[in-house]
Amino acid sequence: MVTLTHYIVLSAVLFGLGAIGFAVRRNAIILFMSIELMLNAVNLSLVAFSRYRAELNGQVMVLFIYAVAAAEVAVGLAILISLFRHVREVDVTRFNILKW
Amino acid sequence: MDLYFWIFAVMAVAAGLFTISSREPLSSGLGLLTVFIALSALYLHLHAPLVAIFQVTIYAGAILVLIVFVLMLLVSPGERMRDIQENASYRVMGGILGLTMLGLLAAGAKGVSDLICARSLPEGFGHPSGFGDLMFREYLLHFEVVSVLLLVALIGAIYLAKKRI
Repeated sequence: MVTLTHYIVLSAVLFGLGAIGFAVRRNAIILFMSIELMLNAVNLSLVAFSRYRAELNGQVMVLFIYAVAAAEVAVGLAILISLFRHVREVDVTRFNILKW
Repeated sequence: MDLYFWIFAVMAVAAGLFTISSREPLSSGLGLLTVFIALSALYLHLHAPLVAIFQVTIYAGAILVLIVFVLMLLVSPGERMRDIQENASYRVMGGILGLTMLGLLAAGAKGVSDLICARSLPEGFGHPSGFGDLMFREYLLHFEVVSVLLLVALIGAIYLAKKRI
């Protein structure tokens, strides 16, 4: 029997994977993918809670998260392209252009 | 229906691990695509067909295409297409992805249901009409704010990508 707990644990595992990826990887695009992984984990828990409580509000929240994620990815990748033009690198440890 | 959950849960976790551990960014993207598809299958299980469709179109469609496009722009000279095609991990990932899509199609054809839980569902739960009703009654202001946010992000992204920093 699949219960709410299963979904919450799965969501936590995915969020943890995203957080680990964000902490250990250095490629900026993979960092973006890790953020997407974390957002997806949150979406899964929202939909699971929505199903558990039998209310649609959680699913509407997921739609808003989609919009915010799309905006974030568009701006983030634009910043990345801009940075790449400047330093020819996507390794985040090499970005120090905000340093005095 | 337990097997359905476990298959896609294991698939999502495995693909997530592959995403954060893969050496090449492009195979990471493939792993991320698999996570998106597996989660969309789980949304079907949770009686959220509309969210599952949004997941496939917005995430697996729009956002991942954007990521892969930027990846192609920024790919380093060492990583040519031939090297990618000769890499065995792509075939494995492609196989897993194909199986996921097949499972999703099968589930869609058969119809999935029944997460055992506290409350029984109202009629038409998760269908577009109730969804739109809630969104344009309760969350109308949020909806408009999100549209402004998307417009600002669009203009900002064009401005940033054009200008040298």
